[in-house]
Amino acid sequence: MRIRAFPMTMDERYVENIWSLLKNAIQEIQKKNNSGLSFEELYRNAYTMVLHKHGERLYNGLREVVTHHLESKVRQDVLASLNNNFLQILNQAWNDHQTSMVMIRDILMYMDRVYVQQNNVDNVYNLGLIIFRDQVVRYGGIRDHLRHILLEMVVRERKGEVADKLSVRAACQMLMVLGIDSRAVYEEDFERPFLSQSAEFYRSESQRFLGENSASVYIKKVEARINEESERAKHYLDESTEQRIVAVVEEELIQKHMKTIVEMENSGVVHMLKCQKTDDLHCMYKLLGRVADGLRTMASCVSAHLREEGKALVNVDESGANALNFVQSLLDLKDRYDTFLGKSFVNDPIFKKMISSDFEYFLNLNLKSPEYLSLFIDDKLKKGVKGMTEQDIELVLDKTMVLFRFLQEKDIFERYYKQHLAKRLLLNKSVSDDSEKNMISKLKTECGCQFTSKLEGMFKDMSISNMLMEDFKNHIQTSGTSLYGVDLSVRVLTTGFWPTQSSATCTLPLAPRNAFEVFRRFYLAKHSGRQLTLQPALGSADLSAIFYGPRREESETKEKADGPSSSTPTSASANGPRKHIISVSTYQMCILMLFNTRDRLTYEDIMNETDVPKKDLDRALQSLAMGKPTQRVLVKSPKGKDILPSSIFAVNDSFTSKLHRVKIQTVAAKGESEPERKETRSKVDEDRKHEIEAAIVRIMKARKTMQHNLLVSEVTEQLKSRFLPSPVIIKKRIEGLIEREYLARTPEDRKVYTYVA
Amino acid sequence: MDLGEDVSSLFGKRSKTSSNSTVNRSRTKGTEEAPTVFNQKKCIAWFRQYSTPSSPDTIGPEGVEMFCRDLNVEPENIALLVLSWKMGAKQMGYFTLQEWLLGLTDLQCDSLAKLQAKLNYLHSLLLDSSHFKSIYRYAFDFSRDKDQRSLDIETAKAMLGLLLGRQWSLLNSFFQFLDQSRYRVLNKDQWCNVLEFSRAVDVDLKNYDVDGAWPVMLDEFVEWLKVNRGESNIQ
Repeated sequence: MRIRAFPMTMDERYVENIWSLLKNAIQEIQKKNNSGLSFEELYRNAYTMVLHKHGERLYNGLREVVTHHLESKVRQDVLASLNNNFLQILNQAWNDHQTSMVMIRDILMYMDRVYVQQNNVDNVYNLGLIIFRDQVVRYGGIRDHLRHILLEMVVRERKGEVADKLSVRAACQMLMVLGIDSRAVYEEDFERPFLSQSAEFYRSESQRFLGENSASVYIKKVEARINEESERAKHYLDESTEQRIVAVVEEELIQKHMKTIVEMENSGVVHMLKCQKTDDLHCMYKLLGRVADGLRTMASCVSAHLREEGKALVNVDESGANALNFVQSLLDLKDRYDTFLGKSFVNDPIFKKMISSDFEYFLNLNLKSPEYLSLFIDDKLKKGVKGMTEQDIELVLDKTMVLFRFLQEKDIFERYYKQHLAKRLLLNKSVSDDSEKNMISKLKTECGCQFTSKLEGMFKDMSISNMLMEDFKNHIQTSGTSLYGVDLSVRVLTTGFWPTQSSATCTLPLAPRNAFEVFRRFYLAKHSGRQLTLQPALGSADLSAIFYGPRREESETKEKADGPSSSTPTSASANGPRKHIISVSTYQMCILMLFNTRDRLTYEDIMNETDVPKKDLDRALQSLAMGKPTQRVLVKSPKGKDILPSSIFAVNDSFTSKLHRVKIQTVAAKGESEPERKETRSKVDEDRKHEIEAAIVRIMKARKTMQHNLLVSEVTEQLKSRFLPSPVIIKKRIEGLIEREYLARTPEDRKVYTYVA
Repeated sequence: MDLGEDVSSLFGKRSKTSSNSTVNRSRTKGTEEAPTVFNQKKCIAWFRQYSTPSSPDTIGPEGVEMFCRDLNVEPENIALLVLSWKMGAKQMGYFTLQEWLLGLTDLQCDSLAKLQAKLNYLHSLLLDSSHFKSIYRYAFDFSRDKDQRSLDIETAKAMLGLLLGRQWSLLNSFFQFLDQSRYRVLNKDQWCNVLEFSRAVDVDLKNYDVDGAWPVMLDEFVEWLKVNRGESNIQ
């Protein structure tokens, strides 16, 4: 070849020649005959063309050649294979095309860099893609068939049959590439029909699954399918499809049927809750968490069931109601659901909140809940709690505090707690001061100081009383005053700290009465200006008693002496007088001492002589005369269950007990009777009136003027830690304050109040 | 009353006050009195016609009765209430001299004739809504027992009938409601709010605002009325 000087112009023939050369080369490449070509020469020729401004011709020529090849050769080949290895043939064609386009591009690189850039047309490679796409892949029959084949592969795979996964993947990748800068080709030609076919498939799958009639089976199948689709998308389709196909499965299998699954009889949520199937619940939780509102659907089903369970526990009727069982069953329920919350619902806040609000709902359905809660705590703080270590009790009390938080009427609880605490302190029943104080500090944390300051006052009174008794004993010794044979112990209670008692007095026997007078004088000398009132309902006495009659026959009863056997009385004979110490209440003391002077008394006599209130008198006599044989210090005639005014009582001379010290158990009144409860409630209502008014005045004093609705909500907010006042009640209190001229309506707007200084 | 005496006193005063006299222009039928200027002494003398020697500065119930007869109005006539209001009279059935002078000086009346001439004017005051409100509120304190804070229900009903009888169509329903309720008195706040209610709330109760800070009694009235009309299922 001669080396010529660079031609300054180019004539038509020369260009034609160059183009011919290139065209031929391209065709050879397309025929896979590129080995004989010189890259350098071809590149140079293309370069020359472009340099001399014939880029356009080169470009158009390229397009023509490629199109022709694909149209007349490649497409025909593919069409011929429609029913015979179609995918393989197509993939092969695709690969070949890519390979040749790369080579062609390399040759024409200068045109890519210059001509293409300047004229803003597709580069060589992309041009090739576009032509391949339009002339082959999207050509009528091929396009449809491709889609059909791909979808069929998926169908087969889903059925569990073998499919040519690699071909599918190759085809999908091809579609992706053909979109050039977008996934539109893949999407239109494959993904969209794929997704809609899948939706239909799963629609009928869902019916099949539902037919199994088991929620846990359904869930497992859904999980399996989701995994399957996920894998398929990742490995055999295109990764970007994973999210979309999973969404379809979720829609068809979960979203559309979640209510059915959740509510399925004998296998749904309720069944799982009943049978403690924490794992199944967890699976369902995970599954439903995939769709919007899935968890809410599940939560509301759980909530409904919990409320039912709670209501059943709480709506115990009067006669069957037992405070301890009531509270214990609620604690157990809470434990169960806390387990669910932790294990099945992974402490999800939606579920946590819902459980709390459910408990709050049914706990407050029973108006006696505050009382029962207090009785439960009372039981745990008393001596003689069986089978529980200190840590156990601490744990139970903490759990009880959780229930306490749900109470709406905390002020009622406070009232009962005071009553029960008073009894524990005065009857010396507390297990320990520490555990009491511990409980109070828990309450303080929940409710603030106002709640507990009175309780703490009660403790102070107890310790002051102890010191007082020391002084009193010294005083008695040094002054040599007689106490009439009574070993006196007095506790002085500050009114205001302690629950108010109905000030029922009774007629004390002479000796204790006189002994108390000595103390009264002693105390008032120290604290003139104070007043002491005896509270017989809270006292107790130990009486020394001698029984002269013959022993009760032992064969009559099966007496099991658990306690220490009494030291046999001084007289060795089994028929001698028996000395015992009888521990009784004050009222019972009044009754028994009467028998020192009289042998028999009617009920009426006793009532008149002791002045004990009827209700207490009945209880006292029942315990003394109609309890267990080892407790029957008195006898009643005629025998029978009723105490009539004419019933006659006498000392049971045959009283026998293995124990030297006999404690007379008072017929336990667990919880209040109805009239007592009504009284408590009316006292609480009174207190609430004052609390509401105090809150109103406090708020108005600070704000000076306030609109009605705002005032009502402020008051509610301030009082909600104690109880829930209704807007009507608040309104009534506002009117009361208007009448007493603490507040007034503003003249301009009757809905706005002002504080009257 | 001696006409001659009146006229003579007129002459006595004329020279003094002719330059800036406010002549009582209105004439009632049946009197032939020349318009005169308000004379305090005369007014007082008029007062004394109704008070008793034992309590010269107070007209009691009998005096008031006589006064009404002379004036030719019934004691239940609302004009009397308006007059009492003008006087600032504290207690129904009694006028003190101070109250008498206050009211009648304002009205510029020192004789029955003049007062009779003013009756229409007194009635007209009721047509002005803020005067009416003032009179209405006054009526509460005026008619209640002075050692009670509230107004007993029967008196309240009477006064309400007098004041609202013609303008509030729900008045009778309200009375029925009160009769079957446990309310035995009305306090001032309730009283004032009844007027507001009659002005603000439509007969069909559709615009009754439950959050409108109405006294509980009126909430209950609305509820009762709705039940009675068969509009409510709530007990």
